[in-house]
Amino acid sequence: MTSGIASPMRKGAEGSGSGMAGKIGYALLYIVLIAVAVLQLFPLVWLLFFSLKNNQEVFDLPPLSLPMNPRWENYGKVWSAGNIDVYFVNSVWITIAATALTVIIASLVTFAITRMKWKGSSFVLGLFMVAMMIPVHSTLIPLFSMFNKANLIDNPISLILTYVAFNMPITIMILLGFYYALPKEVEEASVIDGCSVNRMFFRIVLPMTSSVLATTAIINIIYNWNEFIFVNTFISSDEFKTLTVGVQNFIGQYTTDWGAIGATLMISILPILLAFLFLSDRIVEGIAAGSVKG
Amino acid sequence: MNKVMSNKKIIALYVLPALLLILAVVYIPIILTGYYGLTKWNGIGSPDYIGFDNYAALLKDTAFWNSAWHSLLLALFSGLSLILYLAIAMVLASKIKGANLFRKIYLIPMLLSSVAIAQLWLRIYHPTNGILNSLLESIGFDNPPAWLAEPKLVLFALFIPILWQYAGFYILIYYAALKNIPASLEEAAKIDGANALQIAWKIKLPLAMEVIKVTIVLAVVGSLKYFDLIYVMTNGGPNGASEVMASYMYSEAFKSYDFGYGSAVGFFLLVFCLVATWLIRKLTATKDTIQYS
Amino acid sequence: MFKKKWTTLMLTLCLAIIAAGCGNNANNGGADTNGAANGGSNESGNKVTVNFMHLWPEGVSAGQNKIVNQIIEAYQTDNPNVTIKQEVLDNEQYKNKLKVLSASNQLPDVGVTWAAGFMQPYVEGNLFTPVDDLLSGELNGKFVAGTTEAYAMNGKTYALPLEFNIAPVYYNKAIFEQYGLEVPQTYEQFKTVVKTLTDNGVAPIALGNKDRWTGSLWYMYLADRIAGQETLAKAITGEASFTDAGLVKAAEEVQALVDGNAFVKGFNGLSNEEAKSEFLNGKAAMFLMGTWELPNFTTNEDIPQEFRDSVGFFKFPTVDGGKGNIDSWVGGPGVGLFVSENSEVKEEAKKFVEYFVTKWGEQSVTGAGVIPATKVDTATLELPQLYIDLFNEMNKASSITLFADVQMKADAAETHLNQIQALFGKAATPDLFAGEHDKAISAGK
Repeated sequence: MTSGIASPMRKGAEGSGSGMAGKIGYALLYIVLIAVAVLQLFPLVWLLFFSLKNNQEVFDLPPLSLPMNPRWENYGKVWSAGNIDVYFVNSVWITIAATALTVIIASLVTFAITRMKWKGSSFVLGLFMVAMMIPVHSTLIPLFSMFNKANLIDNPISLILTYVAFNMPITIMILLGFYYALPKEVEEASVIDGCSVNRMFFRIVLPMTSSVLATTAIINIIYNWNEFIFVNTFISSDEFKTLTVGVQNFIGQYTTDWGAIGATLMISILPILLAFLFLSDRIVEGIAAGSVKG
Repeated sequence: MNKVMSNKKIIALYVLPALLLILAVVYIPIILTGYYGLTKWNGIGSPDYIGFDNYAALLKDTAFWNSAWHSLLLALFSGLSLILYLAIAMVLASKIKGANLFRKIYLIPMLLSSVAIAQLWLRIYHPTNGILNSLLESIGFDNPPAWLAEPKLVLFALFIPILWQYAGFYILIYYAALKNIPASLEEAAKIDGANALQIAWKIKLPLAMEVIKVTIVLAVVGSLKYFDLIYVMTNGGPNGASEVMASYMYSEAFKSYDFGYGSAVGFFLLVFCLVATWLIRKLTATKDTIQYS
Repeated sequence: MFKKKWTTLMLTLCLAIIAAGCGNNANNGGADTNGAANGGSNESGNKVTVNFMHLWPEGVSAGQNKIVNQIIEAYQTDNPNVTIKQEVLDNEQYKNKLKVLSASNQLPDVGVTWAAGFMQPYVEGNLFTPVDDLLSGELNGKFVAGTTEAYAMNGKTYALPLEFNIAPVYYNKAIFEQYGLEVPQTYEQFKTVVKTLTDNGVAPIALGNKDRWTGSLWYMYLADRIAGQETLAKAITGEASFTDAGLVKAAEEVQALVDGNAFVKGFNGLSNEEAKSEFLNGKAAMFLMGTWELPNFTTNEDIPQEFRDSVGFFKFPTVDGGKGNIDSWVGGPGVGLFVSENSEVKEEAKKFVEYFVTKWGEQSVTGAGVIPATKVDTATLELPQLYIDLFNEMNKASSITLFADVQMKADAAETHLNQIQALFGKAATPDLFAGEHDKAISAGK
């Protein structure tokens, strides 16, 4: 094997066999990879084009064509439609607060369930699992009346509590698979060293799981960022609403301004795109940090 | 060791915040849903207790069973699609050139909200000037079907965007799981002369097993209570051909003002999820959990 | 140190949760604390806040939104002690939220409602307050006959209508001219028009039946023209059966139109919005829709002038041997304003509604192209011809049948809409269609 392509080949799909067959397989793999990549990028391009059209063009032109006069004014319309800056700030802080709380609390629970010994741990795990099985719409009326009695309606706390509670089960589930696979030696060694449980958790276990933490953080961010049913139900003042509400600004009683909705969606995807690109690299760094300890 | 790891105070400190939150925010609604299911209630005033009438009606409601069947089909397809996602994650997690870039690009669609995805696929499936039918016409299909209007096709036409929407989610989890496998194991196997497929099958797969089991549960439960795209793209139609349990629950509770019946559907959905999860746990149970060593 | 910080964080969280979960019991003392959340400051200087929830967002219902804001501003200037607090949601979310709010008895002081079947549960649950006193006051005689009745139940009126619509068949004059077609007067002529258009490869009718009420319009008109307005009205209220020969014939005619490819391809999977675009871009020749679409055919600058100039309308043609009358329309009031029964500022809310309805009537035609439910003096306004013609038609209408899905109770309305989709999709026979209707309506939900 020549060194140039040897290393990717060994781990590529079917990289054994002779050099020629390997090269063809390798090329095929790349053709497929690139084709899929183009397909996956297509929605973003489509959304951009969509956001530059008016209603007529949205329905008449082929989806992947740019209109004669790109309507950049759609973005102006979105930006001047009032409150978008407030919505934006709310979206950012609510998403960050809810995501951070979820990931940390879920890690604590998962650690206690998978690594510590106590009666009822599997029952508690069961409780968390059942919690992800209820359809959102079943919960709206009870939750509203509960928050109403607690005076938390029209208060972002109601949103954060709901986001944390509803994303907690799925976050725990994802963490679970990773925690089960952590080597036992980690605890043993640190207990012998006289480490407290807290210290072990924060200094050793959390860094070791940073790749899955980044994964769950990405998932939580996406969910929280795009959520709108709870915002609409619990929040009535503009000062606490989030970006997803911005879309509604363009859905009228009898008509809908699709271009402006496209522009809103485009604006609102950028922050999570950045967050995603940043956190996505953490997934890889995680093992590096973990393997030093392990 | 055991003493430290079963310190009650610490356990309480770690578990109680989450547990209390879940009990307050999720369990109260679940219990109330269970109760509403036993009542006749249009959502206004106080509910009238009617015992199991709603459930009795539900058992005979063909529209409900159709929607349940559609949900089960979706769960089945979601479960099967995991194999594909795992394969993609394996390729992305291997050390091929540009894997990092590919990974990022592959996951971008998962950032899109359901609103955007629904609009995109409505344009793809549009009967006359949609992308799909334009393509079919250009390669010589005379009269391509109206995908979202044909009762026989609509459900499967909807499955594609739904599965696609969640692809990123599972690929991301698998990717993290595979990246978590210590490189030393792979190196060792390679020295022993194992090829890529053998490494994937004998080393990566078993070590990612716990994660895979979890994703099966997530995929099945997520599918059983799936709502978003179906509601936006077809509203369960035409004539119930793409109705799923959650959309049926929604239209009963919020459109027909029958919150009691809707709650019964919601509670049934929960029971479906429980049974499915129990089955999956049973079927995938292994004696020992495998650990990296 | 580290430990302490975390303990504090956890404690705070637990407290927050307990506050959320157990606040339930703590608040029990004031059982009657429902009604508007922030209307309570009545005693201190008479400052009142009236919460107003509506569905005219700034971005797209621009005309309506502007009028709403102008009215509110003027009202607040006249009544400096009153603050009107708005909450805007889109149609779909608005209906959901109204439902959730009513379950907790937390309706806004003033809100938007639809007529008849939609508002019935709210009225029966004593959530809306009667506004008959307003009708006998300043607004006496201001409403178009037949509009407030749709909001009346058990002899009381529970909301004041803002809009009034009828549904003509709009058609593209250019297409008709191209194929030498005349506006059909009878259903036979109409079928010839459809046939000519399909033969020439033009989609005759734009219909987005994913939304279902769109197809309902077609059935209702056919039922009205064949079985007569009275039979249809009685069947909807449950006094007569949908198995009436004329009503079944109407269902058969619907399927005959489907068989003749009268509607655009894939209509059962298209939204009204998508179907409308087929008409707006000249691909489909006809479109049966409410008068709320008029701005798109007259003043909307986004739509090419050439197209707007070529839109005309005709009345749904009569059927030979049918009992219907060409001046009988399907339509009715759109949205209206209600005042919450449990509002703490009911009097102020009512005053605001009275003011709002009056001003809305003056401004909505010219400002938003909406036909208000209050009488409009068309002679003093400069309006596009299409509006004037339709105003005249409204005035000489022999009857106006309220949209079936609005008229029926919620559960029956759902059955009706689903059956419409099934009928158009040929998944239900006309007989089954009739039977399902009778079953749902007699169930009385």
